[in-house]
Amino acid sequence: MKGITIRFGEVVANSDVNFELRKGEIHALLGENGAGKTTLTSILYGLYQPQAGEIYVRGKKTTIKSPNDSMELSIAMVHQHFLLTLPHSVTENIIVGLKSQGFFLNLASAEKKIQQLSEKYGLKIDPKAVVGDMAVGEQQRVEIVKALYRDAEILILDEPTSMLTPQEEKALFAMLESMVRQGLSIIFITHKLHEVMEVSNRVTVLRGGKVVGTVNTSETNETELAKMMVGRPVIEDIQLKSTAQNDIVLQLKNISALNNSNILFLKDLSLELRKGQILGIAGVDGNGQAELAEVIAGLRKVQSGEIMMDGRSTTKLSPRKIREWGLAYVPQDRLNTGLVLEYSISENLVLDRWYTAGYSGKVFLKQEEMKKFAEKVVVDFEVKTPGINVPISSMSGGNLQKVLMARELARNPKVLVVHNPTRGLDIGAAEYIHKQLVKQRENGVGVLMLSLDLDEILTVCDRIAVIYEGKIMGVVDREDADVDRIGLLMGGKSVALEGTK
Amino acid sequence: MTVPDAISDTRGNSRARISEALTRFRDVKFFVPFASGSLAFVVGAILLGSAGIDVGDAYATMFRGAFGSVFGFGDVMLKTISLLLAGLAVSVAFRCRQWNIGAEGQLYMGALGGTLVGISLLGAVPGIAILAAIVVSFIFGALFALVPAVLKVKFGVNEVISTVLLNFVALLFISFLLHGPIKAPGFNPYSPEISEESQMPIIFPGTRLHGGIFIAVLATVGVYYLWKTKIGFEIRTVGANIDAARYAGMNITKSVFVTLGISGGLAGIAGGLLVIGVQHLLIEGISPGYGFVAVIIALLGRQHPIGVAIVAFFFAALMTGSETMNRSLGVPAAFAMTLQALILVFVLVGGLFAVWLSRRNRGGAR
Repeated sequence: MKGITIRFGEVVANSDVNFELRKGEIHALLGENGAGKTTLTSILYGLYQPQAGEIYVRGKKTTIKSPNDSMELSIAMVHQHFLLTLPHSVTENIIVGLKSQGFFLNLASAEKKIQQLSEKYGLKIDPKAVVGDMAVGEQQRVEIVKALYRDAEILILDEPTSMLTPQEEKALFAMLESMVRQGLSIIFITHKLHEVMEVSNRVTVLRGGKVVGTVNTSETNETELAKMMVGRPVIEDIQLKSTAQNDIVLQLKNISALNNSNILFLKDLSLELRKGQILGIAGVDGNGQAELAEVIAGLRKVQSGEIMMDGRSTTKLSPRKIREWGLAYVPQDRLNTGLVLEYSISENLVLDRWYTAGYSGKVFLKQEEMKKFAEKVVVDFEVKTPGINVPISSMSGGNLQKVLMARELARNPKVLVVHNPTRGLDIGAAEYIHKQLVKQRENGVGVLMLSLDLDEILTVCDRIAVIYEGKIMGVVDREDADVDRIGLLMGGKSVALEGTK
Repeated sequence: MTVPDAISDTRGNSRARISEALTRFRDVKFFVPFASGSLAFVVGAILLGSAGIDVGDAYATMFRGAFGSVFGFGDVMLKTISLLLAGLAVSVAFRCRQWNIGAEGQLYMGALGGTLVGISLLGAVPGIAILAAIVVSFIFGALFALVPAVLKVKFGVNEVISTVLLNFVALLFISFLLHGPIKAPGFNPYSPEISEESQMPIIFPGTRLHGGIFIAVLATVGVYYLWKTKIGFEIRTVGANIDAARYAGMNITKSVFVTLGISGGLAGIAGGLLVIGVQHLLIEGISPGYGFVAVIIALLGRQHPIGVAIVAFFFAALMTGSETMNRSLGVPAAFAMTLQALILVFVLVGGLFAVWLSRRNRGGAR
């Protein structure tokens, strides 16, 4: 790809980008959210047309107008969010849309081909299995086989590890390596440095739509890559000053609760959070993290068990009462739960306290006070916004998260629950959020952080608990934490977290 | 972003320029409703023409009926009172994402409330009678609207269904009363006439326009300020994002009750005013479906009190004009309803078209 430039309205998504992929290599495409990684590969996949630039495939100049064209060129893409039909079998998912199938499906021959492919590349897969029953890592394998079935030679993987446990991640990397050995070429999109180091041969770093550079992985290191990616040195080495961690500020005793499908999902779960402590809950998505946070916030009823905050039971209190007693909660779904998109900053900031004397009289809201509060937050939290009275829907994810954090922190909480606080944010914004959390910790707040990002948990938490299928599998101090063991627990294997390494 | 979006973003600047120009037009807020409304009249003209009616004559008569005489314009304002109050009723509920399709029934219950005051001893007290009639009609409408609220909160019954069905309950209940318990002596199923003290005075001699217009204006201003109150903020939040409202510790049950109470009350006043301001007694069919047209008005007025007022006035003129058309040209009265329905269809489709346009233009900026 030579001199690729594409603009969406005013935004230049790719500017004069050169990118080359050699046969038989894993080429990592590294950059922050919004750096233009996905756009670049989408051009190669035929989803967008560049305004300038040329694409050469196997030395021949080509134009790729649609995914059909790219399929002809043996280019395939595995999206971050899988495009699978859950109630269907693996084979059915793989052959869907293929022109080679006649009016009646020939499942038997397809199954045979899938079997052969999976043996050739070491992708263990059962063609007859129903996709909905499979784990995320297996579903991803189905997507990859789907690409291989279409005779893909160039495979684009968009953030393939975002949903995987460390073990599944390792398995994926092994598969990718065996695939390149067989002559495939892979573009690996990511924003995680250690993945680049682990799996790629070369790496191209994108920043603000431009190529910063292409280097051989063996000749670089994480610090250098981070600098290229962000444009300044990044040292997120958070020093956790020891704080007095005596009093338990939040305690969950044998909590059981249902999920949205009325199935018992949290099972006999117990946890202790101390003042001035950041407790991280690690786990693969969908293992009860959301339910746990909602139970604490009073948004989900418990079937049994008790929740104590600062020594008082909050089990039967309303969400408002629990907040008044000292809980702040940053939900993972900041757009649909934490904030109201059609509201302005000032309205969003009083969402939880509009009724208090500070912001309303007997009947009316105090617009002036709301405005003052919003102006203060915009300055204190460095929120970039077109104005405090316009709907927040026009703001970026990082700035929305700042508004949400600002509101919750302004409560002066005793307990702060944050769920995936930096998901989708760029490194700068994530760093900022982490600093805020550490500051709360130093002020003696108990912070409970539920996160899918194990690196994040290892960076900022004092203590780490692993959740699997609604149960706490184990709790360990950060100093004693061992990533392999945590990974095993995340996958449901019972091992001791502490003890001999 | 879909594939065609992406292609249209990059292919051909002329197309982009055209859609940009269209978007700018759309930004002039009234363009889409106006264009769609005009199209409805065009299709209406085709209908009229195919029925062998002189289209120009018909529309001229319609216009004259609404704006050509003091009496006619008075009637437009009179109808505006009912449509505005009922339209506000539905729009208040919409803001809390409650579909109150039962304004007609609530209006009838309000009419009953006004009648009961007017024929009771209370209705004979000068000065207080009118106020009492209005308050009671509000209460009757509100209580009747709380039935679907209770059904929803306690049993999860969808308010669309319950409010629609309760219309029949109200209308049949009124029929029952008029054929028995409150029937005046005589042949017709009418209630006795209300006392003179409880009749809303005419404010413009030579028309039927009564003092209720001030109440409608007051209600419009009231709804405008309702959204700036504490409870208004709560209601709006529940309507905008119920998960966020729950998360922020808002009381959803209370919001639903208050909203439907206010909504039903406003519809109730519309009914009460029909009795004390126009008919001076309760009859079956006292409302020609104001409560149903109100749904259209709330939608087209985008649930904003000013928008609702404008649309209510427009629909009142349309109804008055078509009545004249019906009387002097023999155009079926149903034509007015057809035209209303056409306007709704065109404006809704126009709205979707505008959304589609803006999506297309925003598509690439991801």
